[in-house]
Order: sequence, then C-alpha cells, then structure tokens
Amino acid sequence: MNAIFAIVTGILFGLGVYLLLRRDLVKTAMGYYVLFTAINLFFLAVGVFDGEAAPYVGEQGQPSDPLVQALLLTAIVISFGTYALLLGMINVASRRFGTIDSDDVDHLRR
Amino acid sequence: MSMNNAVILGPIFFPLAGVIICLLLARSNRIQRYAGLAAMIAAWLCSLAVLTAVFDQGVQVYRVGGYSPPYGIALAVDLLNGLFGVMAATVMTAGALYVVGSKDKCANYPAFMPLMLGMATGLAGAFYTGDIFTLFVFVEVMVMSSVGLTAISDNKLGLEAAIKYLLISAMGSLFLLLGIGAIYASFGTLNLADIARALETGERPLLAQVAALMLMCAFLLKSAVFPFHFWQPDFHTTSPTAVSAMLSSVVVKVGVYGLIRLTTLLFIPESQLLRLALLALGIIGVFFGGLGAFRTHDAKRMLAYSTFGQIGFILVGIGWGTPLALAAAIIYAMNHAFIKSALLMLTGAVASRLTSKSAALAQLQGVGVEMKGVSLLYFIGGLALSGVPPLNGFISKLALVQGGIGAESWIALGLAVGGGILTLMYMMRTWQYVFQAEPEAEVNFRPYGDSLIAPAILIGLCVVLGVYATPLVSAAQMAAAQLGDPNVYITAVLGG
Repeated sequence: MNAIFAIVTGILFGLGVYLLLRRDLVKTAMGYYVLFTAINLFFLAVGVFDGEAAPYVGEQGQPSDPLVQALLLTAIVISFGTYALLLGMINVASRRFGTIDSDDVDHLRR
Repeated sequence: MSMNNAVILGPIFFPLAGVIICLLLARSNRIQRYAGLAAMIAAWLCSLAVLTAVFDQGVQVYRVGGYSPPYGIALAVDLLNGLFGVMAATVMTAGALYVVGSKDKCANYPAFMPLMLGMATGLAGAFYTGDIFTLFVFVEVMVMSSVGLTAISDNKLGLEAAIKYLLISAMGSLFLLLGIGAIYASFGTLNLADIARALETGERPLLAQVAALMLMCAFLLKSAVFPFHFWQPDFHTTSPTAVSAMLSSVVVKVGVYGLIRLTTLLFIPESQLLRLALLALGIIGVFFGGLGAFRTHDAKRMLAYSTFGQIGFILVGIGWGTPLALAAAIIYAMNHAFIKSALLMLTGAVASRLTSKSAALAQLQGVGVEMKGVSLLYFIGGLALSGVPPLNGFISKLALVQGGIGAESWIALGLAVGGGILTLMYMMRTWQYVFQAEPEAEVNFRPYGDSLIAPAILIGLCVVLGVYATPLVSAAQMAAAQLGDPNVYITAVLGG
C-alpha cells in the first residue's frame, strides 16, 4: 500500500512542478493545486498506524489514524481557498493586463 | 501546572469577531473603520494582559476545548511570543488607526477592514499557538488576507505583486506542510513541546532531519531572507500604505519567530549548523539590503529593501545564538517593527498628497518642504532606523554589538556595524530628497492627506523606548534566559 502511495505522490509531484513552471498563469495555478494534492496524499500516508477500520469505538480490527484525516480536511480547504483566490486574481489580471502569459505580466520589473 | 488562561484567546478572538462585525457593518464605511479600531484596541489590551501574566506567573497555557496536550491543541505563551504578540498587536492597532484616517480609495471597500483584522488574527494566532499545524493554518489566514489587501490596492500593479506573492508563499506553505508531515511521520505528534521532548531524547529519524531543513526554508521565505527574497519589494511597495506598513514590520517577523523556536526549542543539537547558515544569510542580507536600498528610486521601495538589511541584523543575532545575542535579536525585532511601520506610514502620508499616490522619488521631490511636522517625524524615524542615540534603534544596535562581543565573532561584528552605516546614508538621502530639496517646476499636491496620528504615536514610542529602554531590554534578556532552558516551555505545556 505504501509503495502505491509513494509512486502516486511522486508522479503528482512531478506533474505539479512541470505545470507550475509553465508560462501560462492558469496552468501555473493548476500546478500549484496538483502539488498540494501530492502533499495531501503524503499526509494520508504518514499516519502513525496502519489501520484498515474506521476510527470509531467498537469497530473491529486495527483503526486508522484519525488525526491525519482531520489535518487533511483542513489542508484541502486551505488549498482550495488559495486556488480559488489565485484563479480569481488571474481572471482580473487577464482583463487588466490583457494577457495571462507570466512573461508579459512583469510591469513591476520595468 | 498552570491554569487555563483564557486571556490568551483575546488577541485572536477580538480581531476575528471584528471581521464578522465589520462585515455586518459593511453599509457604513465610517462605523466599520471605528469598529475595526475598537477590536484591535481590545486585542492589544489582551496581549498586554497576557504578557503581564507571563511575567508574574510564568508560561501561560490555554488548552482549546479542554483537551490536554499533546492530544488537544494548546496555545502556549512564554516571554518570547508574549513580547512578539504585544509587538504585533501594537503595530496592528496603529495600522487600524491609520486606516481610520486614510484617504486611500481602497480603504472605502467594505472588505478592507475585515481583511486587515484577518491579518491581525493570523498574526496573533501564529505567534501564540503551541501546535505546529495550527501555526500553518494561522500563517495561511495571514497570507490570504494580505494578498487580498494588496490585490485591491489603489496601485494597479498591486494585483501582479499579489499573484506573484501568493504563488511563492504557496510554495513556502507547501514546504511547511511537508515539514509538518515529516515531523508527524517521525514522532506522531504536532505539539511543539511534545516534538521538542521527542527530539531531546536524541532520536533522529531521517525524515526529522529533512523536516528541520524544510521548516527553515519555509520560515526564511516568510521573512524574505536572501535566497527567497525576490517577491518582497514588489509586494511591500504596491500594497496600500496601512498594509505595507504592517507587512514590512510585523508580518515578516513570523519567520523570525519560527527561526528562533526552531533553533532554541526544537532542533537544538543541529542548531550549530542552522545558526552558521543564518549568520551567513544575515550578513548577506545586511549588505544586500543596504546596497539595494541605495539604487532604488522609490521611497517605499527603499524601505522594503531596508527591511532585508534589518532582518539580516536580526538573523545575525539568532546566528550568534548566545543569550545576549538572542536578547539582542528580540529587542531588534521589536524596535524595527515600530520604526519601520512608522516610516512607511509617513512615506505613505506624504505620497497621499499627490494625485498619483506614487512614492517615486522623482515625483516626491520637494513635496515635503512645507510639511515641517512630517519632516521632523521622518527625520527622527530615519535616525532611529540607523541607530543613533538616544533613539530605540541605538538600543537594538548596542544590544547586538554586546551580543557579538559575547559571541567573540569579530568579523561578523565588524560587518554588521559597517552595514549599519549604510542605513544612515540611504535614509538621509531620501529625507533630503523629499523634505529639503527644491520642488521641481510644477508639483501638484493636495493640501490634505492621510492622518498622521498613527505614525506620530509610533515615533513617540520609538523615542520612549530609546530614552527609557530598561523595561524592554530586561524583558528581552529574561526571554532569552527562558529560551536557554527549553524544559521550562515543555513542562509548562505538557506538565511534569
């Protein structure tokens, strides 16, 4: 199970970095989101015990770690909020500057 | 074991409640601004009460929901974050006061004051929490609020800076989260005190070492230290004046706070190596900031570059790591927050007289000739930043030099003092340009601008802290002594 987690996290991380380095700002934002998903998967995998059952009292078998799942929910909400804010700002930027190419959105450097 | 002290919640709760109240009052901008100011004053009083309690009774802990740590989330305040919390609340209250008298167009938006208060919430929470994941959440609250505030700035390019900063800061948060995950995988806990106790045993899984580096990179990014600095001048100069004064003074201190905790509470055996890196980065920052400030043509941008230099001084203090040097770093961090926020507010107040609101030196030249009061305040602030007695900047430089002598790190000491001279040169150059030079042919400026109450109070505070420096200095020394024994913090949070 851990091997699958490791491979999938690795693939997502690679994809995320690739997208993040695109010049298109929308793709950059998507890359950020994919990267965050990779981290979320990593978080799911680092639970302190390998459980199969839901973490309720009275469930049979080794329970899974409820803390990482709670953290994960928080992290998902935060990443989603950041992603929405980023896309919203890129939307305004596309109208204000007339482009979403990150090489052209560099008025501050001129 | 100390009792639950609910006052610790105050500096987090009041701004958060203020966000909601201000949103309900969105119809009347005037009332909204005063409500925000009232919330910040309440938070400021609470932060003072917390600090007093820490002085009288030792480390204060609040267990959220009554669950005892390490299972529940705890807010834990020792002298270090007590002092930082007071610093943040003081400067944020001054910021809210500045917003009340601000003529910026964006300050009329119904979202402006709530976002300011959101920033204060995140800041206080990040300082007070004793749980590393909660730290991440509060830092995100702070980042999102400041990004929103910069994106709606009167300066059209604020949006570009906000996008850049959000992307870079998101990378920082990713690494922070990865570091937190690595720590959780190694020790199965997120409570700072519990992690410190686990690390004390000398157990070092590979992931924990990786976590140390990731956390350090994340904190360096939040403080805009040399290899992670490039976003800062853009972001700090395009934001509205009240916001840039907060960003450049207290928001960058979150990283400083994290670095102090990292080297004195968590990774103590590794701190030799971390400190060496911080010392090198600090000295680079002092010179990079000083020289960068020289070649800017914008009064606000110059102050943003100057922040690199000042953070550099603080890092040098943390890098030496002796109790004296740590105390110096704390004094420096607090004094810098007051001086830098006052100077940025003054610059913004002068720029607000121009129709363009630009702080470019070419446009500001001679605008301040008629403004004797602002000129005097800016002059005092400039002297304080460069460390001229009897102002508070001198006290911080003096403390740092004492720390350097104690650490017997002569080369670093020489470099740090040399870097200080640069500050005086660029501050006075700008002062002459804005307040002394003859105005260029036709300068159109309005007879009114932003209110000067907030920066005047902050400059007054700088003078008071310079003349009557003993309380802050002794408090910082006590804080540094407390940091010398991490068990004080650990037992206060976890008990016996």
